[in-house]
Amino acid sequence: MTTARYEGFACRRRRLAVAGLAAASAILAAPPGALAQPDSPAAAPANGELPPADLAATPYDPWRGANQQLFAFSMGLDRGLIAPVAHGYRRVTPQPIRNRVSAVVENLGEPGTAINHLAQGHPRRAGKATARFLINSTVGLLGMFDVATGMKLPPRDADFGQTLGRYGAQPGPYIYIPIVGPSNVRDGLGMIVDIITDPVSLVTGGVSTTLGATRFAATTVDSRLRADGAFKALKDATDPYATTRSAYTQRRAFVVRGASGEPDVLPDFEPVPAEPPAEPSPVPH
Amino acid sequence: MLLIAFGAAPPALAQAGREPQAEQFVQTAAQKVIAVLADRGLSIAQKKATFHQAINELADVPKVTNFVLGKYARTVTPAQRQQFATAFRTYAEGVYQSRIDDYRGEKLTVTGSVVRKPGDVVVNTTISGGQLDRPVVVAWRVQGAGGSWKVVDVQFKGVWLAITQQQDFVSTIDNAGGDVGVLIAQLQRDAQRPAAGVARN
Repeated sequence: MTTARYEGFACRRRRLAVAGLAAASAILAAPPGALAQPDSPAAAPANGELPPADLAATPYDPWRGANQQLFAFSMGLDRGLIAPVAHGYRRVTPQPIRNRVSAVVENLGEPGTAINHLAQGHPRRAGKATARFLINSTVGLLGMFDVATGMKLPPRDADFGQTLGRYGAQPGPYIYIPIVGPSNVRDGLGMIVDIITDPVSLVTGGVSTTLGATRFAATTVDSRLRADGAFKALKDATDPYATTRSAYTQRRAFVVRGASGEPDVLPDFEPVPAEPPAEPSPVPH
Repeated sequence: MLLIAFGAAPPALAQAGREPQAEQFVQTAAQKVIAVLADRGLSIAQKKATFHQAINELADVPKVTNFVLGKYARTVTPAQRQQFATAFRTYAEGVYQSRIDDYRGEKLTVTGSVVRKPGDVVVNTTISGGQLDRPVVVAWRVQGAGGSWKVVDVQFKGVWLAITQQQDFVSTIDNAGGDVGVLIAQLQRDAQRPAAGVARN
């Protein structure tokens, strides 16, 4: 890329990054109850502290109609296009090669992960992610082999939605992003910030370059295959939309707790009601 | 047979520590379930029967069945409750047996536990070996006391299965205008489908 083009590209990204961070601060500054479920008792904490995530509560979904349509559209698109491509890739590519691709994709995400660990106030975790990136990129042959895990450096993901959550931002309304999948206002914004500030993308260039496009394609297919178990499980659900929404919301609450260390709120299991006395069977006269 | 909540246990001091008996229970009972599915000597019918029995030993089936109905557990009629219990059991066994069927030779190791309140413990385990390239972290929520515990929920990657199932079922009943019969019919239909790996892609 020529210097001028790169500068223009970087300038646009800086402006978008600033806009993203401004929106992020707006969410962070919002009072705790503002984005929480309005009818949940957890929405208005008495002492100003943030309520721990109540995992059994129905996720706040004020845009349910639109989300359901986007979900149905995405499921159709997956069935018709994305799943066949991913399954085709799996059919023609031997497992060892797929493992190499997975490892490279994961490795390219480590710099962004390290930045988020730092932003969350976990410098040791950031150091480990950086070490992982350096070791796997060199000893692990450009990330093809995850040798760092064997060196007591297991992977530990971090993203900007989690960073926002760690500082108290509530997830906000549930949104279903076409093709990308389930999200919420906080995590969707976090995803945008992660994309814009990704150090690897800043070096290799965006999706418009060959390297960037290849990385994007590999990441997409790899992610779809990783999620294959979840897609298969959706076929068992009586309401796939509600199932996806619940599983995603719980997953993100878990990820944020990993950063903030807060305990979760589990529902009570009610005692089973006593069976009524057996009714006498009608006796025909 | 009624299964009443653990109220019979003597009130204990609140502890944030571990519960070794709950851990021992999960180690034995959950490992048994995995072993059943890994046993290639059993016929399909034998496997189903053994799996059914192993689930009875592992899980508090009535409590979970009640839980997954959510708010409708209070309003459902006794006849519907019985129908639902049967339909749900058949459906769940089919689903989970086919999902765990992929696992062969995995080993379950208890790594610790957290007492949330007396009689309500979360046991943390990892499942490793076999076909897994990385150990999988699974948490088991068990309720009970002393030497007698039962699993009420399982967490995988932060997602609790019974909670998710409750959200699924309650939404289906909501969409049917509160008619539990619609959910029962759907579960009965789903149980009729051929086993995974054959018709599903």
